[in-house]
Amino acid sequence: MPPHRGGGRWQMGRAASVISRPVASAPSPLLMEGLIRSQGHDWEDPAMTTQDSSQTQVNSVTKMQPGHESSGPHVATQELKPASKEDSVYEIVLSGAPVEKNISVASPTKVELICKLGEDSSLKNPQVTWKKGGETISHTTKTQNSWSIQLTISESSQLGSYTCILKGEKELTATFHLHVPKTEGREKPVITYIGDTAVMVCKTEYNAKAWTWYMTNGTELAPINTILHTDKFEIMRKSAKVSRLEIFKLSKKDRGVYWCEAVFDLGSSKARFELKVLSISAPLKPFIAVVAEVAILVTTIVLYEVYSKRKGKVNQKKTLLGDPSSSRQRSKPQKVSKRFLERRFKPREVENITKLQKMYATMHFKHSLCFEVLYI
Amino acid sequence: MAPPVLSDLGYVPPDGGWGWAVVFGASISIGFAFTFPKAFTIYFKEIQAVFNISYSQIAWTTSIMCATTYGGGPISSILVNRYGSRPVVMFGGLLCGVGMISAAFCTSILQLYICVGFITGFGLALNLQPSVIIIGKYFLKRRPIANGLAMAGSPVMLCTLAPLNQFLFDSFGWRGSFLILGAILLNCCVAGALFRPIGAGTALVKTQVTEEAKEALKGKIPEDGPMENRAEEEGGKDCFEKINQYLDFSLFKHRGFLIYLIGNVLMFLGFFAPIVFLAPYAKHTGIDEYSAAFLLSILAIVDMVARPTTGIVANSKWVRPRIQYFFSFAIAFNGACHLLCPLASSYTGLIVYSSFFGLAFGMVCAMLFETLMDLVGAARFTSAVGLVTIAECCTILLGPPIGGILIDTFGDYKYMFIKCGSVMVLAGTFLFIMNYYNYRMLAKEEKERKTKEEEPKSP
Repeated sequence: MPPHRGGGRWQMGRAASVISRPVASAPSPLLMEGLIRSQGHDWEDPAMTTQDSSQTQVNSVTKMQPGHESSGPHVATQELKPASKEDSVYEIVLSGAPVEKNISVASPTKVELICKLGEDSSLKNPQVTWKKGGETISHTTKTQNSWSIQLTISESSQLGSYTCILKGEKELTATFHLHVPKTEGREKPVITYIGDTAVMVCKTEYNAKAWTWYMTNGTELAPINTILHTDKFEIMRKSAKVSRLEIFKLSKKDRGVYWCEAVFDLGSSKARFELKVLSISAPLKPFIAVVAEVAILVTTIVLYEVYSKRKGKVNQKKTLLGDPSSSRQRSKPQKVSKRFLERRFKPREVENITKLQKMYATMHFKHSLCFEVLYI
Repeated sequence: MAPPVLSDLGYVPPDGGWGWAVVFGASISIGFAFTFPKAFTIYFKEIQAVFNISYSQIAWTTSIMCATTYGGGPISSILVNRYGSRPVVMFGGLLCGVGMISAAFCTSILQLYICVGFITGFGLALNLQPSVIIIGKYFLKRRPIANGLAMAGSPVMLCTLAPLNQFLFDSFGWRGSFLILGAILLNCCVAGALFRPIGAGTALVKTQVTEEAKEALKGKIPEDGPMENRAEEEGGKDCFEKINQYLDFSLFKHRGFLIYLIGNVLMFLGFFAPIVFLAPYAKHTGIDEYSAAFLLSILAIVDMVARPTTGIVANSKWVRPRIQYFFSFAIAFNGACHLLCPLASSYTGLIVYSSFFGLAFGMVCAMLFETLMDLVGAARFTSAVGLVTIAECCTILLGPPIGGILIDTFGDYKYMFIKCGSVMVLAGTFLFIMNYYNYRMLAKEEKERKTKEEEPKSP
């Protein structure tokens, strides 16, 4: 799977994630580019500003069109002054496959959506329609190779999907999804223990007007009232983009799903957290299992060592005494009993033989000692 | 350049047998000591959220852990000199376990610094040094292989600890994970149990036999057992000599030791930074998170294979006498990889870089302690390793932050790679030249010693 080469162009992936196919870096008729140009939104990444300078071309497009009044699907919106005066321009360059783009709109603003034909595209002079849902938008503006609409978003009903359709020999479409900024929760459950404190942190990329936390009571959501339960809950608003819920003195009853809601001018979005409260016995079982395993292994190793040492000692004792069963023995002198000798030899000869036996025994002992010392 | 056998250790190391069990135990201990700080970073985000602290505050935990692991070297050496490897490692394992278990009940970041940073770090220090030391006691002829195998424990442990940590965290949260990790760290005690004491006084020649053998053969076998016997025999000594007996400061007059120390201290400035910044660099060039993590996996796998292979190569009869050159070559090769890294801008280029980096990293790590043993001999290695780790401690900790500063100032990763690469090439060249000089001096000294052959050598 080739890695997605978003790189420097896609700075704020979350707010404007492009659902597009991986691109080849060389321009071609199938080139797809999406350029984001936005001023006025509170981007967290300071490096974003360096990208802005390369977008002057797009900027000039907006400046060229002051005379063209955009009309959204709702004429009434034209009269409303947008809350902020910043302009946002979003452009999609079309090629063969349909392209979609997600755009987060936090507060009322003017938005311009541009559909542009790629330079090598085979379509000439296509017929362009802009649609939202089923409704066609009139009053679009056209430049040489691009068609755009200007919208003033001041109500949540104006958010949605706007599509531009280019009809010619082929039909090319591009869709802009305008929605409220998403909030980030945690997909995996938050695991805490009885008596512990749970912390859930909710983030978003735009400044939220307000934050609300909910817990689920059966199927309904009940807002969490920190004033009523000061010793149980605490909500901290760390910044306009981060909210933090702390739950103290956890018990099994606190298990379940929690929601954090960020309220924007144009709507709100929710994020989900799942809280699991375990008792201390849950990790205790694997803990005891591992400790038992360690104890068993250590005991086994020590016992094996003691056993092998004892075996070694027995072997050495046998070496010293000339035991025929011990290892590292060469030709061993057989100890013959005196009675056996007395039966066969004369007394003096028996004496000599026993003396010889003793001599051989000591010689062998010294010999085997040499072996022990040198060959261990 | 094989050191003389009996005069160094006092006995012939088994070079096998129970030694392989010791190598297995050492690989577990070394694995935990090197990889635990790295695997711990999984918990950072959660602990940051719970204690409401910044990233740098939580990062101090692993810094303290690393610093204590390396800085506790001399204490480790003193304890091993006094008590032997086994009790020290078992105590270290207990300390690690206690540290992590108490960390599970922490309520502030300061308590985490103490429990995870100091206590666990010190326990890991008591694990690392004795494991390396005992390999020198069990192996001589096959020591490079044994070292390579023992150091291979580090990437193996990393590959197991990282996913295990993630699984524990997903199942039990961070507190439960710390509890279970404490139990897992107790496995170091198992490794310690494998470290059967060995030495001329303890292992194979029993005392009664030696006494009788002395009488029978009218010869003397040198005893190099635990130091405390000698202390009892020789009675009153002055303070400096007593310190020297536990931690051999006379090593600072040893030419080979000084060369090794300077070269390695220089090398560690650029050793760890590229690993720390590999994944961020990959993400910076536009590669997604999973592919960036895959680069690190490639590094670990190549590393795992490279370490024992390097051990086998270093043990061969062509390389073993000139092992210092091989070590310098490995360091310079590592540096060259970093210098060439900025040229690799595509994903394939980075994969190639990761593989070569893994190879070079494994080569250097496998021979890290082997070369020190080769220079100072196994008897003095105990003190040497302690002194070397505390000196390296500073540069190991400074390396990644300096790299970070370079990245932040210039906004480009290539300067960090250039810095690391040039430092390592410099260190490699330095070691190469100085070891050439050292080999020549040693050859000269050997010649002089041989001309005085008629004098009986007292070991």
